[in-house]
Amino acid sequence: MITSSKRTPLTYLVHATVLFLVIMWTIPTAGLFISSIRDKDQLSVSGWWTALSTSTQQLVTRANDPSTQTLEGGLYLIQGNIFDGAPGEVTKFGSSSLKPDAFDVGTKVELKRGQTLQVMKNGDYTFASPTEWKGSRSSRIFYTAETPPRFTLDNYREVLSAEGLGQSFINSLTVTIPATIIPILVAAFAAYALAWMSFPGRALLLAAVVGLLVVPLQMSLIPLLKSYNLIGEFFGVGSKTYVGIWLAHTGFGLPLAIYLLRNYIAGLPSEIIESARVDGASDFDIFRKIVLPLSFPALASFAIFQFLWVWNDLLIAMVFLGNDAEHLVLTGQLRELLGSRGGNWEILTASAFITIIIPVCVFFGLQRYLVRGLLAGSVK
Amino acid sequence: MKKSLLSMAVAVTLSTNAVYAADLMFTPGEDSRFNWASYDALKSVDLSGETVSAFGPWMGDEKANFERVIAYFEKATGAKVNYSGSDSFEQQIVIDTQAGSAPNISIFPQPGLAADLASKGALTPLSNKVKEGVKKDYAAGQSWVDLATFKDSKGDDNLYGVFYRADLKSLVWYSPDNFLDAGYDVPETMEDLKDLTKQIVADGGTPWCIGLGSGAATGWPATDWVEDMLLRTQPAAVYDGWVTNDVKFDDPRIVDAIKEFGWFARNDAYVDGGAGAVASTDFRDSPKGLFQSPPKCYMHRQASFIPAFFPEGTTLGLDADFFYFPSYASKNLGNPVLGAGTLVSITNDSKGAREFIEFLRSPIAHELWMAQTGFLSAHLGANPELYSSDAARKQGEILRYATTFRFDGSDLMPGKIGAGSFWTGMVDYTSGKDAKTVAEDIQKTWNALK
Repeated sequence: MITSSKRTPLTYLVHATVLFLVIMWTIPTAGLFISSIRDKDQLSVSGWWTALSTSTQQLVTRANDPSTQTLEGGLYLIQGNIFDGAPGEVTKFGSSSLKPDAFDVGTKVELKRGQTLQVMKNGDYTFASPTEWKGSRSSRIFYTAETPPRFTLDNYREVLSAEGLGQSFINSLTVTIPATIIPILVAAFAAYALAWMSFPGRALLLAAVVGLLVVPLQMSLIPLLKSYNLIGEFFGVGSKTYVGIWLAHTGFGLPLAIYLLRNYIAGLPSEIIESARVDGASDFDIFRKIVLPLSFPALASFAIFQFLWVWNDLLIAMVFLGNDAEHLVLTGQLRELLGSRGGNWEILTASAFITIIIPVCVFFGLQRYLVRGLLAGSVK
Repeated sequence: MKKSLLSMAVAVTLSTNAVYAADLMFTPGEDSRFNWASYDALKSVDLSGETVSAFGPWMGDEKANFERVIAYFEKATGAKVNYSGSDSFEQQIVIDTQAGSAPNISIFPQPGLAADLASKGALTPLSNKVKEGVKKDYAAGQSWVDLATFKDSKGDDNLYGVFYRADLKSLVWYSPDNFLDAGYDVPETMEDLKDLTKQIVADGGTPWCIGLGSGAATGWPATDWVEDMLLRTQPAAVYDGWVTNDVKFDDPRIVDAIKEFGWFARNDAYVDGGAGAVASTDFRDSPKGLFQSPPKCYMHRQASFIPAFFPEGTTLGLDADFFYFPSYASKNLGNPVLGAGTLVSITNDSKGAREFIEFLRSPIAHELWMAQTGFLSAHLGANPELYSSDAARKQGEILRYATTFRFDGSDLMPGKIGAGSFWTGMVDYTSGKDAKTVAEDIQKTWNALK
């Protein structure tokens, strides 16, 4: 046995492995986070790992248009700043797309018809011409710039200020909370019965429940919706209601819940339950006073599973709740923000961190009980 | 503690929840360029208290644009229209129609899917009046009617929808400044385009940006290329036969069209990143190369919607422009145009749904979206002056005056081909597989369907 006081190479190996795994698991999250606070134009051209250092970029900008020209000392000038107030440093510039880095910063370059262009290190540029600038098409300036890292909260602002986001947050909670509590409630009773009450066909029933685990839920979408339509017609309500989606999630979550909880509850020491029976406790008393408190860790871990699954779900919500504004869940709302053809990275990354808030709260809230429950079981 | 956290979250989100009102963009009767007569005619229809549910593929900005058009229908008739959009429209509409909870109006991005649902009896046929109306009002009206005419469950032909919002596919996008800097002219014929491609390479540049990546739909931009090349190398009749598989996929004429696409896409010198990058570049990212410094490429062939993916601040007409993807001068096939469109059908019949279809085929519904962004119309009664940009007007004209208009073939083919093996086949082809083998594989999938 390895004791904690004496460090063997194996402990170091264990520590190194743990460290390695932690880093491996955190890198994607870190990348996502850095991406979410990056400028959206930078996001599409370079990776998040380049975000922390000053980068050399070749860029192009359009000068102010000829209507802004001024007359100074016989020359018509068009002036401005490439960076428009943002920090940056020009190293090279050019006036044609063929040679974007032809000139060193500060030099005065002859263009056609006696016109000149000068670009300074801080981004100030001057076009000068002996004759008046004509037309509405302004010239382009190509430049190579050292751009310091630039971070912004614009992505978050864009997601949070989206119309209907608040409503969809509440919709998601309305779907998720009952859809987590109902299956746990049902599954706990069922698991107790399957573990500690003997009745004919118990093993067969359990096998059937386990068998249900392999049914893909996509298969049941149409038949289920059909029966909802019939029932809805009978009661004179629509087929897409909150009750409908709670029941759907309950149904899809139950097999796993029953299976997990039964295994845990069946593993409880039989002496406790038998002595309770001898003392005259009914099945309901045993369930409520002994089994339920003891199986809290299992309940909590399943609650985390179910909550995450329902919270992140899009398919079932779209099918059983619909797409209209009053019923749109958070995942649906965020997808809507992406537009018809998708591809808006910055929204994806920022919304990932916004949707994660509630599941993280749930996880940390329940994790306390989870740890306590585990410890209570181990140091009996 | 958990409780207080939750109530906090609810409070925060409640405060961000905005109430929005549907105001009319343009006051009816004010701007004389609009066809207000068709709006006034709508006022005689009384639908107060009725609700029309509509479901389609448009989300985000497109949804907002469409809702602004709907507002006029609501104002005139008193009906309430609930539009919702989904990016998995194709899957959801199948579920909803089979389960019997279909919306009143469905907006199909692909007629192939609508044909499928029509054969199962999920769509409601439209009246002869609509058919005659479309024939008369639309440019190349008969072809728009044919595209929306499907067989029902008994095998009879019926008109099942009205096209609203067209897309133009035969466009090449470029940066006029870059062309000016390098001294290139816009090519008028396919021969010129090929010469220009060679010229750019000789000058040390890269002519094309091509990206086929699109998540699960990777490969579709190449199907548009092949369709365009087929229309430019063979008469339209071959194209029509190919769509219905009367002309086999591995027919030498089709294989040649695939090779024509390969002439551009499979030459390392012609494509940014080399031929190997074609399949892995996302179609949304590939046009960005036009605007980089130095330019990564000079031309990009893509449909009329692509400016949505140009870098922020790109002005159409100034920073970016387009030209018609030219046809061969030597082949005498006219100027064929490839396009697409969204089909509006009734999936759950009601008076409101029928009136809504009537509204969408009236000029005012087209004009109201034309005056916003991202809308092309083949409606002859819609005033082209109302297009919000010159670029859109130019595209509208290409669409209106096309000698041959053909609908995106992959959208008309069965889903397993047009949204399956054709896509993957094109990815295989750009990755180096032989054109003949690819075509044979696709034909095999098609044979298996029969």
